[in-house]
Amino acid sequence: MDIDLSAQDLEFQQEVRDFLASNAHVPKTDYAQWRLNWFDRAKDKGGWDVPKWPVAFGGPGWTPTQHYIWEKETAVAQTPWDLPFGLSMLAPVLMTYGNEEQQQRFLPDIRARKVNWCQGYSEPNAGSDLANLKTKAELSDDGSYYTVNGTKIWTTLAHIADWIFCLTRTSDSGIKQEGITFLLIPMKQEGIEVKPIITLGGSHSVNMVHFTDVKVPVENRVGDEGKGWGYAKGLLAHERTGLAGISKSLVALDFLRLQAGQVKRGNATLLDDPAYKSKLAKLEIDLLATEFTELRSLASAANGAEPGPESSILKLKGTEIQQRIQKLTVEAGGIYSAAWGKQPVGHSFAKGGMSGYLSSRAYTIYGGASEVQKDVVAKNVLGLKKAK
Amino acid sequence: MNFDLSEEQQLLKDSVDRFVSDNYDLDTRQTLSKNDAGFSDTYWQTMAELGWLGVTVPEAHGGFGGNQADTMVLMEAFGKGLVLEPFFASAVLGTRAIVAGASSELQNKLLPKLMAGECRLSLAYAEEQARFDLEDIVTRATQDSGDFIITGHKSMVQHGGSADYLVVSTRTSGGQQDQHGITVFLVDAKSEGTSIQSFPTVDGQQASEITFKDVRVSADHILGGLDGGFGLLQDIAIDGILALAAEAVGAMEVLYKDTVAYTQERQQFDQSLSDFQVLQHRMVDMFMEYEQCKSMLYRATLEVVQKGREAMRIVHALKYMVGKNGTFIGENAVQLHGGMGVTEELRIGHYFKRLLVIDAQFGNSDHHLGRFAG
Repeated sequence: MDIDLSAQDLEFQQEVRDFLASNAHVPKTDYAQWRLNWFDRAKDKGGWDVPKWPVAFGGPGWTPTQHYIWEKETAVAQTPWDLPFGLSMLAPVLMTYGNEEQQQRFLPDIRARKVNWCQGYSEPNAGSDLANLKTKAELSDDGSYYTVNGTKIWTTLAHIADWIFCLTRTSDSGIKQEGITFLLIPMKQEGIEVKPIITLGGSHSVNMVHFTDVKVPVENRVGDEGKGWGYAKGLLAHERTGLAGISKSLVALDFLRLQAGQVKRGNATLLDDPAYKSKLAKLEIDLLATEFTELRSLASAANGAEPGPESSILKLKGTEIQQRIQKLTVEAGGIYSAAWGKQPVGHSFAKGGMSGYLSSRAYTIYGGASEVQKDVVAKNVLGLKKAK
Repeated sequence: MNFDLSEEQQLLKDSVDRFVSDNYDLDTRQTLSKNDAGFSDTYWQTMAELGWLGVTVPEAHGGFGGNQADTMVLMEAFGKGLVLEPFFASAVLGTRAIVAGASSELQNKLLPKLMAGECRLSLAYAEEQARFDLEDIVTRATQDSGDFIITGHKSMVQHGGSADYLVVSTRTSGGQQDQHGITVFLVDAKSEGTSIQSFPTVDGQQASEITFKDVRVSADHILGGLDGGFGLLQDIAIDGILALAAEAVGAMEVLYKDTVAYTQERQQFDQSLSDFQVLQHRMVDMFMEYEQCKSMLYRATLEVVQKGREAMRIVHALKYMVGKNGTFIGENAVQLHGGMGVTEELRIGHYFKRLLVIDAQFGNSDHHLGRFAG
């Protein structure tokens, strides 16, 4: 056992820090252009614009430890916003199951952050039970196109997306997981209607997407008809580890301390309040443990082993920690957390605290609700029979 | 020992339950919440006509002559409907200030108008540096040829924008955190030097930031005596906490019952969500926490009716529990509703938001736990 980074890893860490120090500061004007330039410069470093992509597709070929270093350093630095849908969710599917033509058609635009994708998985009656999906895709008699009808829900950023990657049902025979087909569909066309869903935090990021007789050329099908579930499943596992957000939580906890330090309590601050202090401490302890759970998982992956049982708890623990940080932000704001709307009131951080907290309630629901995650751990890790 | 409602209270409960079920479906509530005042003038008049605005006004003044237990009956029902009218601000907090603190002349002038719904009050007590401490007051009132001049800033004044008069806590002597030297004034909301900025709150209600700049108030508008306002503030806060707790208990009931109903309807994995034991146990926990809050509400209310300020410790226990259990029930109602739970479309999210704001009003659960522990 060895807690220290190797000499090569330390060298890499320094290289990342140098790169971020000279490139990661946000300009006051023309953010959009700066953002695109940033990815260009990261690309020139040797595929740093697509850290998770394999070398064959232009990625840097980092070890798991190098990924960890990158995530940790970029969480602290102000790197430009990025969306996971094309880059981390669709791209791996195309690389593994797409044909060469599809790879050449879609991957460069994803990499250049030119085309926005959204994910069409969940449906009104297919949430945690995703395989229950009903959106129908019917192949035309001549076999040249599918006609898609149905409704997707919780589709993040569908209203700004150019394309959607979609799980559709092409057959009802067999078990639910069979007969699901993976289609790529342009969003800007007749027959697709996007309806906003306003969430408790007051924001619009998720949508309902209706498909009415939308024609999709057969060359937009990824892999074989009826095999889409298998393609998507690998992706879900990937999505779930990405949702733990440990590095971001470490940064958020530091920020929370700064905020609580601004809240006066007599001659002291909220950081001196025994109850609050104790909650912060418990949160930090859980975060320190979870960070090492992630490191153990990374270390075994680095040695070429299958992820151990510890990796299954990352999403569960990580999202719970994110929610507790939001809750403590609300508590720090006191009565000012209740303010809503545009006008600044009280502590500068307080307004928006409640909104962040309310949004965070979705963390233990999306990407597999915590209760379903625990079922998976019970079955796959502990080897228990399915509960009735 | 008897925890049943009296005949009069039962009649009151029947009428307020009917008002809520007839008038407070979610769509109506959300529409009302978005108009300028943030509530319905018509409903306010209804509350006056039904005598609710005078529920704690003594019979000698033409009121119902009730106590905190009667207010509890109304507030619990309001909690079930997420009622928006400023009953809490005016008929609970404001009216207590007048009944307990005003001269009989002022009472004769104001109470009839308050009961008739022609006049509304708001309590302006919070200040940024004070966090949840009632006695931490910077806003100053200084004597000037028989009058007082008020200068300072009050925060998060619930329904301040629609109030005709403000009940304002000020410092007239002593240090910033002394209990002695606090004076409470009744200030005309339109008096020169008073500026009111209103904004929505998370729960669809309204609040205001209020600045007083050399506002002149006559000495006969002092409530509770010069330098002796702290006791009055405490009494108002106790009534406020009891009323908020009753409202919260009403909201918790809706949340746990809606969750039980939804999980029975919702099918996933070829069965009702409610068939999963882990969800059943969670809902049992929600139910237990609701019942415990209700018990504590009864206990605190009855003790305050008997002993007033002497029952402060149990009031701390109640507010701690309302904050903790309300958050637990709200978070789990959302979790068990899945994606639907985090949308504005279902009513549970709105009840959850109200519970979050209730936790922050008059001190959150940490604050009251600290006070209870001593």
